[in-house]
This record gives sequence, structure tokens and C-alpha cells, in this order.
Amino acid sequence: MGTSPALDEADLHALVDNEISGEERRRVEDHLASCPEDAALVEGWRRQHAALRAAFEPVAQERPPLSLRNAAQRNAATSAPPIESGAIHWGRPSNSTRSLRRSEEGPAGCQAQALASTIGALLVGAAIAGAAVFVLTRPSVVSPAAPELSYVERADLAYHTYVFDPRPVEFGAAQKSELLDALRVRLGFARAPDLSSLDLKLLGARVAPGLRGPAGLLIYERADLSARVALYYEKAESIGVPRFAPRVDQALTAIEWRAAGYDFVLIGPLGPEAMQQAAERAAAEMVTPAPAQ
Amino acid sequence: MVKRARLSYDSVQPAERAAARAVRIANMGDREGLFAEVEEATPTLRRYARALCVMAGSIAADDLVQSALDNAAAAIRERRLGGDEAGAARLCAYRALTSAAREELSGFESAKLSARHPAIAQGLASLPFEERAAILLVALEGFSYAAAAEIAGTRRETLVARLMRARAALSTLGLRPPGPSDGQRRAGGHLRLVK
Repeated sequence: MGTSPALDEADLHALVDNEISGEERRRVEDHLASCPEDAALVEGWRRQHAALRAAFEPVAQERPPLSLRNAAQRNAATSAPPIESGAIHWGRPSNSTRSLRRSEEGPAGCQAQALASTIGALLVGAAIAGAAVFVLTRPSVVSPAAPELSYVERADLAYHTYVFDPRPVEFGAAQKSELLDALRVRLGFARAPDLSSLDLKLLGARVAPGLRGPAGLLIYERADLSARVALYYEKAESIGVPRFAPRVDQALTAIEWRAAGYDFVLIGPLGPEAMQQAAERAAAEMVTPAPAQ
Repeated sequence: MVKRARLSYDSVQPAERAAARAVRIANMGDREGLFAEVEEATPTLRRYARALCVMAGSIAADDLVQSALDNAAAAIRERRLGGDEAGAARLCAYRALTSAAREELSGFESAKLSARHPAIAQGLASLPFEERAAILLVALEGFSYAAAAEIAGTRRETLVARLMRARAALSTLGLRPPGPSDGQRRAGGHLRLVK
């Protein structure tokens, strides 16, 4: 480098990084005017800055995923954060317990505590891959490669196919035992969570095509008939979680989690908060032991 | 079926966002202001995380941002920031992110990215973690040497030395002046010449 004795490379960096001003800055600039070699060096560093901004600035312009919006504010009130609406935390067991923590705090008191310990035992015993919870209300990100269809997208498809069908369910809520039997036979697992305390009445269920096999679709309805919510589940033995944000109808909120080897997706038009509560309730009920036959 | 929400966010310029943040912070109590500051920093934290974890992918990067936000919120709540001045919470979030990334990426040192990534991303991936953090904090995030050193948990001189080494390493990339389409994946980038 052809710097003068009074000038070293750190001064050139300081110039590029606006760490110097006034007389010192002028001195370095004068040096650059007379030293093309150092001027090229500085120009190269500025080019690096521009390349960095060009490559990564689009990330700052994206709307952050729901999990990261208001995260600090959500954590402001309590040291035990609630289920993270929008958390894209695939396969992190720690989130599965966090996501279920709110049910411990519910009015059910002792019962809820017992439920929580049961859930804890099941989480360990069943070697659950982990819960992945995310709420999707953002536009889908452009993926560098076409990803495999995800459970959320399949749930979205099932929602649009069946939920507003004249005959949305194969088994009505009145035939609950047949409903559970049919799901158990086809999917190896069946529960029909009671979401009535959240103003979601079970309409019934059906078997729907899943990603790699049959999927269960439980449909719930608001008492005033204003909205229907579907709980989709499918065996998740070999399919990884999607690497990219699934494409779903932006009017819907989808919450996905995994437990006991199954992938669950609650999807519907309610707000993220209401969906989150419903998902927590459903998640808790889904991992409770089956009722005695 | 897919409806794309219009992002009102996109139309807001960074300077306007910063001004709005200053007003919000001034209008709030100290802690609320600090929480708002962390929230406002989320987009740039994501940018930093994405670049810092360039070899690990966007999911890992967002995971780290989440962890940094949790950490910063806890620090505010427990009054561990060491001051309520503007910028303290943002600095804390960057510090938490850098620290978490250092741990998470210990197995990714000097990874090699595929040729599909921009040259600058490949160059970043080949840098040691501390050098990558140094150049990103200063060149991408615009922190002063003093703030960047605090975030990286080191002395100013060490930070500058890392920055100089990072720049020297990236100088070998032969970067051309950036074009308008840089940062976007080239259309047809998946195609290859077969004949």
C-alpha cells in the first residue's frame, strides 16, 4: 500500500466507516487524491458495502414473520412467554412445552396441572419430534427452489375443498364414537378436542387426502355460524417440516404443531389470538390418553 | 387462492421509521420505549442474522432473531441494560444475537456456499465468524467501531483488526459494481447450458 508515513491502513478504513471527520478526514481524502492505489482499495471496500446491502437489504424490507412481530412486547408482561403466535420454530422440543404452558394457567386448576404433567410424560415417552407452531398471515416468501407441498398447504387445500361443501363431514358430531372409530382405523389415532369453551362447536369429521396418506379433518363452527375452523392431522413419520413459508390463503390463519408422530394444523379465518387459544386447547387434548373404550 | 397482503411497511422509508421510533420512544415510559426500540429493530436484526448465518439459512437466522428478542426483552424487564438511553435496547438485541449465533454456528465455520449464491454471500460464508460479524456490524448495520466492539464483546482495536482482515479477504472476490438486480435470484438461474 502506498500510504504516506503519517497515514496507515486503519485511517483508510476509518474514512470508509465515517469514523473520522474534519481535518483528519480531509487529510485522508487528500492522500487518496494523490494515491490511486489506495483510492482503488477504498473503492473496493465501498463496493463491498454496496454488495452487502444489495444482497441483504431486501430482508430488512420484508415484513417480519408474525413470530417476530411484537415479540418484545409480548414478552414484556411475563417471564413465561405464551405460545408464540407465528413462531417458525420447527422441531424444537422446548417450544412444545412453552406452547402448552398456557393451558397450565387456565381456570381448570388442578386438572390442568395433571394434564400438563401427562403431557410432559408423553412428550418424553413418545419421543415427540417437537412442536412447530406457526401462524401464517404474511405473503409467501419467494423460495429459491420449489419446495414440496407442506402439511399446511395440504390443510389449506382440504379447508377450501370440504369446509364449505354442502356435506362437509362424513360423520357428524352426534355420531362421535363412529367418527373416532373411522379416524382411528384410517389414521391410527383419533381425538375430537372439545373447543366449545372457545365458541367452536364440533360439526363433525372426515377423512381427507393427506400428503402421503389419509388425513383427518375435524370441522368446528362458531355458534353464530360466522366461521368454520378445521383441524387437520396426518401421520408425520417421514416428511420433514417445510423449509419455506407455506402458501396459504392470506385470509386464514394456520397454526401447525407436531406431537406423537403426527402433524396437526388448525386453520381458519379467526384472528391469530383466537386461533392460538384454540390450537393450545386442541394440542392439549390431542396428547391426552385415549378415553377408555 | 393466495391473496397477497399489501405491506404498508414497505412504503415507509428507514429515515421516517427512525423518526417515528424516536417520537414513539419519547412519548412512552422508559421501558415501553425500550420494548418499542427492540421491536423497531426487528427488520434490521433479521437482515444482520440472515447475513451472519448465510450458510445456515433463513429459518436458523429467524430462530436467532427470536432468541435475541427474547433476551433483549428479558434484559429490559430485569433492568439489565445498563442504561435506558436510546439505542441501549437495540444494542442489547444485537449483542444477544451475535452471541447466540457464535454458539449456533460453531460447526459451520468457513462453509462453502454453492455458486448460486451471490459472490458476496460466498465470501461472507468463507470468513471466520468474528470477522464476518465485524464487517456486517460496521458495513451493513452501520454501527460505529465502539458500538460494534461492544456488540461483539471485544475491544475496539480487535474489532478494527477483524474488520481489516475481513475486507482483505473479501477483496479477493473481484466484486463488480452492484447492478439493480443484485440481491434477487437471477431468472433462469436454475438452468444450465447443456450444449
